[in-house]
Amino acid sequence: MTAYIIRRLWQMLPTMLGVVLLVFFLFNWVGGDPAYVLAGKISNQEQIDNIRRQLGVDQPYWVQLWIFVKQIVTGDFGASWSTNERISSIIFTRLPPSLTVLIPLTVLDALIAIGLALAVAYVRGSLTDRAVMIVCTVGLSISILVYIIVFQYVFAYKLGWFPVQGWGDSFWENLFRYASLPILIGLAVGIAPSLRLYRTFVLDEINQDYVRTARAKGLSENRTMWVHVLRNASIPIITNIMASLPGLLIGAFLIERFFSIPGIGREVILAVERSDFPVIKAITVYVAAATMVFNLLADLMYKAVDPRVQLK
Amino acid sequence: MLAVATPAIAAPDMNKVVREVFPAAETGFDPAAVHDLYSGTLIQGIFETLYTYDYLARPSKVVPLAADGMPQITDNGRTWTVKLKKGIRFADDPVFGGKPRELTADDYVYSIKRLIDPRIRSPWAFLVEGKFVGLDEVAEQARKSGRFDYDRKVPGIEAVDRHTIRFRLKETDYNLPYILAHEPTSAVAREVIEKYGESDGRALANPVGTGPYRLAKWVRSSKILLEANPHYRGFTWNFASSDPADAALVREMKGKAMPQVGRVEISIIEEDQARLLAFQGDEVDLMNMEGPLAPKVLDGGTLKPEMKAKGVKLSRIVDPELSYTYWNMTDPVVGGLAKEKVALRRAMAMSYNVADEIRVIRNGQAIEARYPIPPGVVGHDPGWKGGIAYDPAGANALLDRFGYKRGADGWRTLPDGKPLVVRLSSRPDTLGRQQDELWKKSLDAIGVRMDVHKDKFPELIKAEKQCKLQMRVASWIADYPDGDNFMQLLYGPNTNQSNNACARIPEFDKLYARTQKMPPGPERDKLYQEMTRVIEAYAPWRLMISRYRNMLVQPRVLGYKRHPILHAHWQYLDVAPQGPNK
Repeated sequence: MTAYIIRRLWQMLPTMLGVVLLVFFLFNWVGGDPAYVLAGKISNQEQIDNIRRQLGVDQPYWVQLWIFVKQIVTGDFGASWSTNERISSIIFTRLPPSLTVLIPLTVLDALIAIGLALAVAYVRGSLTDRAVMIVCTVGLSISILVYIIVFQYVFAYKLGWFPVQGWGDSFWENLFRYASLPILIGLAVGIAPSLRLYRTFVLDEINQDYVRTARAKGLSENRTMWVHVLRNASIPIITNIMASLPGLLIGAFLIERFFSIPGIGREVILAVERSDFPVIKAITVYVAAATMVFNLLADLMYKAVDPRVQLK
Repeated sequence: MLAVATPAIAAPDMNKVVREVFPAAETGFDPAAVHDLYSGTLIQGIFETLYTYDYLARPSKVVPLAADGMPQITDNGRTWTVKLKKGIRFADDPVFGGKPRELTADDYVYSIKRLIDPRIRSPWAFLVEGKFVGLDEVAEQARKSGRFDYDRKVPGIEAVDRHTIRFRLKETDYNLPYILAHEPTSAVAREVIEKYGESDGRALANPVGTGPYRLAKWVRSSKILLEANPHYRGFTWNFASSDPADAALVREMKGKAMPQVGRVEISIIEEDQARLLAFQGDEVDLMNMEGPLAPKVLDGGTLKPEMKAKGVKLSRIVDPELSYTYWNMTDPVVGGLAKEKVALRRAMAMSYNVADEIRVIRNGQAIEARYPIPPGVVGHDPGWKGGIAYDPAGANALLDRFGYKRGADGWRTLPDGKPLVVRLSSRPDTLGRQQDELWKKSLDAIGVRMDVHKDKFPELIKAEKQCKLQMRVASWIADYPDGDNFMQLLYGPNTNQSNNACARIPEFDKLYARTQKMPPGPERDKLYQEMTRVIEAYAPWRLMISRYRNMLVQPRVLGYKRHPILHAHWQYLDVAPQGPNK
């Protein structure tokens, strides 16, 4: 196991190098020269050159790339070009609001989707199954933007059940007052695709011989479904959940903007709007690293839930 | 009428809260370093300039703020002496060691020098560059040595004594009071900057000023809480307005000790719907109604009945801004002063229907710009009858006359028979796309083929400054409310800086140089009219629109009137005692 983990970690290096090169060249290619924006409305070439010098974008590409690599190794990405705020401070202050929304959302989404998937798979072909699938298909066809606009208008403004927007100082106030509607929207958007996918995984298992054997042995339906079927269907479910976890680090862009949640997703959009390369590259690198780590964790979990899986 | 400074009349009521919403995030609080509107607004509330604008006077009128009276002008407008009010104190901060810190002339000298310190890379360097005797030399020295010597005496910006500043200008410039009323020249304390400044000399956090408010809480890009500065000297609300519509406002505010509002809560809400719902749900008190939202709340220029029924107030002005399309005057196809080039530009300008833009793109929330100086700015001529009118038939006739013949495919060619294709550069956003479509429709109607060139904003600005774009829609909002701020946009020597048309029109340049030595007044206005005729004759621009700014105000907020230049208005407001908006 240890050897496997070390080997996987070692294999991450070339992947990370690819990410670094991609981010670096993409930004330099499409990002635009930030000096022209930072220089203000009236500026001359001398002032623009001065800004480029201070930002280091006047250096040859290989020098800039080397600085980028050093930043990744040391974990010090410097400060935002726009606000001078340290990148580490940006990440540590913006991540908690994003996680306050996304962790409960991910947990609830998984629990509800798995529960419903088992239920509708159990009554496969019935009116209930077909009705749920139609609702899911309709739900899938609607953009998240529509959910946000409608839910915000109806539940926050018209009915007054939630604040239209905002964020407070207390964790509990944020979780139960400000994050509730965003979580509800996230569930409305996320459950439909998860449910359809998990139902398929469960259906793949439900017709297997071991299920028939379990029933023949007289196991209860609950035990058959929740223990045997779910355990065997859990590998693709784990894959799906783990693949979504890196998304926690980049937040939910639209939800954070509409509900004025000071999260990392909103910060990413702001950084793109401001051509704030240090912020963009730091977050991109962190997300890439997190994706690889979560992939490794997913592989380890396969082994935990199914001992037949061989880690090679 | 001036706001009369009085010693600590009454403490602001900390229960009186005004909640405002910004549609974009702030970047920081260093007057020399930031250049976005919202940071500038906050800076106006926390720091003080020597001068400011009368809250109700229109057109905008400069009045003293930290200065004790208007400047004394000598030496034919080249020496300006400003006295400072005595006893103004900075808000408390640990950096002052628990002692009161008085605002002095040296603070302004230091703060203005910061604008040209290369290390700070201030976007406002243009306000002082080339203006003050000896300042450029210190900046040049700093570029060589890497360190700006703030202790070196600069004859052009001098603290004569603790409360007197003398400015010596290289050339006569009657715009100095506007510059001294502009928030980048706000006073900061040197010890604060040295304590909190980053390695680049900018102190974007930890603002400590002498203004009516101080920063109490800051959740970056999300929430800002300002609290009344207990050391602020206060003033009596004693403004007068020539507008009869302001009578009720004056009545409800006159004689009050200001500031009344103890706390200001600012939320950043980027999305239009969220902003509007937050206002309608009484989560915010003041909100700027951006163009796309206007039809939901406004019937033309007035509030919809349901908003009126709630008691919501609308404060509506035309922003001191100008939107125009420019043609690059150095471009071989559309540029130059030759008659056929002028005819081509005029024809293109005549093909564009500004009324369509106002109706379709701006939702009716703009007026047609006929004069290059917009309303509310000194030098604007409301009775100007000129301008290039929408006249596609006339445009076609003009092109025919100057040899731009239509080919078999319907598109016109250049007089020498070569293909005629113009290229409009724009941003890849909704507004850019809408403007592309309107220009395409306009030029199609006169047989001029148009291509669209899309690029990112920084790249467009870069190409523009290098005179590499052919035509683009640009806009300019006043840094200060004087016509000079707009007329300089076509001054030849400003090419590669603010003159995005790269125009060098000798008649215009000569007239502009003369206006620079004149104070505002009828004589200068006459020259502005002549310059406007030159612009119309050579058509480097198609003047388009100036937008309305619609501020929605909850009924509990008293005394609000949108000022065209001042953005921080909280110190002029009160909140009705009944509290809720009923």
